[in-house]
Amino acid sequence: MKKGLIILLLGLAVAAAAYGCIYFVCTSSARNLEQSSKPELAWLKEEFNLSDSEFKRVCELHEAYLPQCAEMCRQVEAQNQRVRTLLAATNQMTADIESAIAESARLRGQCQRNMLQHFYEVSRTMPPEQGRRYLAWVQERTFQTGEGMMHDNGNAMKPE
Amino acid sequence: MSLNKPGNHDEALGKLLQEWRANAPLPPRFQEAVWRRIEGAQASAAPSVWTFIARWIGTVLPRPALAASYLAILLTLGATAGWTHARQETARVKGELGERYIRSLDPYAMPRQ
Repeated sequence: MKKGLIILLLGLAVAAAAYGCIYFVCTSSARNLEQSSKPELAWLKEEFNLSDSEFKRVCELHEAYLPQCAEMCRQVEAQNQRVRTLLAATNQMTADIESAIAESARLRGQCQRNMLQHFYEVSRTMPPEQGRRYLAWVQERTFQTGEGMMHDNGNAMKPE
Repeated sequence: MSLNKPGNHDEALGKLLQEWRANAPLPPRFQEAVWRRIEGAQASAAPSVWTFIARWIGTVLPRPALAASYLAILLTLGATAGWTHARQETARVKGELGERYIRSLDPYAMPRQ
């Protein structure tokens, strides 16, 4: 009985050890990414197989773009606040509301132009195939989210 | 005096038992009660699952071929579970970092469900 019990417990210990070792080894790359100073850029380097020089250039572009992006964020938030205030003050369409909506659309367009410009610059620093993959990936996440028609009973995308 | 010797004692006891006759009547339904008690004892002695497992651990598991197979199977199961969980965790972390990259560039980006 004692020998059998030892084998039983040894088996459980072996399973736990195998689980822990494999888990530790296979998650090391994700752990390294999370522990790097710029995790999202480190992820970009790994995901798109960038060389050190390409990665350095991508980091420079990223750092140069962030102040523009922060300024756009500030303007977008201020404009959103303005629209909320105008909407709360009345129950009908006014010239101010129309003007605020147009300004919101202009800001969104400006934001998308800046982003797209940045994405093109980043993609050009990558090897051509990875650049195409990067562009497809970022465009799918920034230009095609929430763009579907919601009031068409599902018919908008159907061919005539 | 000689009755104290073991051989003589057994002989005397045997003779006494042969002469002994029980004349008292058996209680009613005596035979049925005896069988009921025998059946009850057998039922309570039926091996439980734990008894079976304990017997299996004590006698079957220590056989070398079975012990080696058992260890190999648990090693494989542990490694497979670790690999599967690690893959899920890595995919989750990379997905989150990708979304963080987008959110750092797009003021309109919302966290995805």
